[in-house]
Amino acid sequence: MKISVNKWFASGSPWIFLNAAAVAISVIMVAGLLILIAVRGLGHFWPADIIEAEHIGKTQTTRVIGEIADHREVSTDQLRDAGYSFPAEQETASRLLLKVGNRDVGGADFRWVLERELRNSRYPETLFAAERTEWGNFYGYLKEVKEGETTVASLTSANHQDLWNALQERIARARQLHEQIYEIEKHEIGTINHGLERLRLKSRSLELKGELTAAHQAELAADRAVFDQQYKGLQARLSELYRAFERDSMIAEAMDGSLVEVKISKVVRAYLPNSMNVVDKIGFYCAKLWEFVSDEPREANTEGGVFPAIFGTVMMVLLMSVLVTPFGVIAAVYLREYAKQGLVTRIIRIAVNNLAGVPSIVYGVFGLGFFIYFLGGNIDQLFFPEALPAPTFGTPGLLWASLTLALLTVPVVIVATEEGLSRIPRSLREGSLALGATKAETLWRVVLPMSSPAIMTGVILAVARAAGEVAPLMLVGVVKLAPSLPLDGNYPFLHLDQKFMHLGFHIYDVGFQSPNVEAARPLVYATALLLVAVIALLNFLAVTIRNRLREKYKALEN
Amino acid sequence: MELARQPNFSLDTLSRQGELLDLSKEPLALEVNDLNLFYGEKQALHNIKMQIPKNRVTAFIGPSGCGKSTLLRSFNRMNDLVDSCRIDGAIQLGEENIYDRKVDVADLRRRVGMVFQKPNPFPKSIYENVAYGLRIQGIKKKRLIDETVEWALKSAALWDEVKDRLHESALGMSGGQQQRLVIARTIAVKPGVLLLDEPASALDPISTLKIEELIHSLKERFTIVIVTHNMQQAARVSDYTAFMYMGNLVEFGTTDQLFTNPQKKQTEDYITGRYG
Repeated sequence: MKISVNKWFASGSPWIFLNAAAVAISVIMVAGLLILIAVRGLGHFWPADIIEAEHIGKTQTTRVIGEIADHREVSTDQLRDAGYSFPAEQETASRLLLKVGNRDVGGADFRWVLERELRNSRYPETLFAAERTEWGNFYGYLKEVKEGETTVASLTSANHQDLWNALQERIARARQLHEQIYEIEKHEIGTINHGLERLRLKSRSLELKGELTAAHQAELAADRAVFDQQYKGLQARLSELYRAFERDSMIAEAMDGSLVEVKISKVVRAYLPNSMNVVDKIGFYCAKLWEFVSDEPREANTEGGVFPAIFGTVMMVLLMSVLVTPFGVIAAVYLREYAKQGLVTRIIRIAVNNLAGVPSIVYGVFGLGFFIYFLGGNIDQLFFPEALPAPTFGTPGLLWASLTLALLTVPVVIVATEEGLSRIPRSLREGSLALGATKAETLWRVVLPMSSPAIMTGVILAVARAAGEVAPLMLVGVVKLAPSLPLDGNYPFLHLDQKFMHLGFHIYDVGFQSPNVEAARPLVYATALLLVAVIALLNFLAVTIRNRLREKYKALEN
Repeated sequence: MELARQPNFSLDTLSRQGELLDLSKEPLALEVNDLNLFYGEKQALHNIKMQIPKNRVTAFIGPSGCGKSTLLRSFNRMNDLVDSCRIDGAIQLGEENIYDRKVDVADLRRRVGMVFQKPNPFPKSIYENVAYGLRIQGIKKKRLIDETVEWALKSAALWDEVKDRLHESALGMSGGQQQRLVIARTIAVKPGVLLLDEPASALDPISTLKIEELIHSLKERFTIVIVTHNMQQAARVSDYTAFMYMGNLVEFGTTDQLFTNPQKKQTEDYITGRYG
């Protein structure tokens, strides 16, 4: 028997089993992680049915209305301590987390209830949910739709369907007005503000140089007057739009029976989940999902979308790649091709490799101290004195974040490029040199193009690392909520000095800095899934480029 | 059934038709004076003295490690790429010593072209491979490049095979075609001297014959120096032959004389196959 075990070991199969098991465990863990965040995150956008029931409390019976957000088994011991009585043999009881919304009425929008305390659960078709721009969701029964002070439809005069249609019409109108207002506030007034700021800086810079003559002042004042004129016109249009926007309201009955008036301008969408069929729900789900990836966040980031964060992440990674590639390639070319190989280059290589192991927050501190305070501060002194004391580059921003991450990832690019350079056959270099090319020409025309797949491998690793980094970014440029995207229609279009949002930081912010933990939790999962997807996409892009280059320069070895 | 195609080639065109050669009457392309070459402490070439005549084919033969490739590579200073290599002595190319400080090495290598043992086309198109040297020289005129590429490919007897696929990758060609492409690439920059380092050792017999035929046709315009392991090849293609052994030049003379009537015992032993 012993002999056969020995034979089995000698045959090598146990090692194959071991390898297969390790691979299987890795695959299962990755798949498990993805499935967990996908299920938790994507489930959030599904329009859940709204339950209405009587809640038998210890002292009184109340009506509860809401979505069931979670379901847990709790030990009865714990509940007995809280004053509930249970039969001795029962060990657990189920408890439901109801999202009751109506934060403006009830104070809290989530509520734990014991399942056995709910009586008479039902799903009435006319129960509606409204997403609002403040105070979270509203759940209840629609009673009246008003235009100003006059009632245009109510349950007493019309049936529910007509009332509901009247509401939807008015929501659509309000959304349209909102879009116009947004357009004016964000773009037109934004452009005017940008222009005024430039005039102010121009006047200040002339003043600093001592060249601010009366002629200049008159010119600037005239320009300013034009902007002011435009601004007044826009202001008038805006106040008109706002008046129209604020006109409508609805009256609805909340869970506790009180009638609440809600401005329709505050409603993003209203829907009747209990009367929706599966097709309606899928449509609704897709709309919500699209809103998540394309819209701006609302309500301290717990509602709305994450588009600015996606944009910021991609922008930062692209900028980082643009900075890190030449830097790493030049360093690698020098180390491999020009530097005399010896003790010094060995020490440099060790240092470069160790650089990859430095904790990322240390880079953040370095970026803050060196790039922002020292470099940025000096840039401001030299080039933007007119804006001082307000800093331009002397404050965290996109450029510094990208540069810090470029520093963090440059070792991978150097190592990968050196690897690639060392694999170019000597015969090709000699072939080029023998044709009268200098070493630099040979490098530029033969060696570097042929190493480009290896360089891309380095960039892929750099992108993968940089896109997932959060800690250093908190020090060098990422914010919870950026007022505008770093790329827009105002000169110079790409605003390297601006702060930006980032998916990784968004997860941290929504998950741990949010006032409304229960509401934020599914968003943490959804954002995490999105971050993984964005990184996968960026990597996929880089891998595609590398494969094309490989195809182009293949067959170099044989 | 069709028989294997016979290469369009006859030995008569390659042999030197019994013409009488005399080194002392030939104009010279290269002149080596007391060349000593060291790799670190080890001396690889000892006091080499030789004269390479213009527009002739000179072959270097000898056993492996005898220094024939090293000598060839010192004609275009390829040995400079080896860190530990040290050279003294002089090699005259025309009026100038190529080991002079003032010599521009890149320009020297253009004037003394080299083809290596293994075909080493760049991973570019056939056209770009031949145009490479011209672009390095800063030639931008498309017509001039087009014409030179055509001329070079024709001179290398490759034009008819590739004229319809000039812009396809050179890596898709056969080994023999690749080697002729490399020759075309080298002659495109119009060197005076062509150094061939065992150009046919990695090729099949038919490709080898084509290369030999090519060498014969190129000697009208270029001085050719060829290193070869294959004594029959040396006998077929060259006008002059040098036999080297252990870093020494043992014997140098016309190919006829060296193969039929060697002056030195070592040479005779080598060509009769008693060692090597």
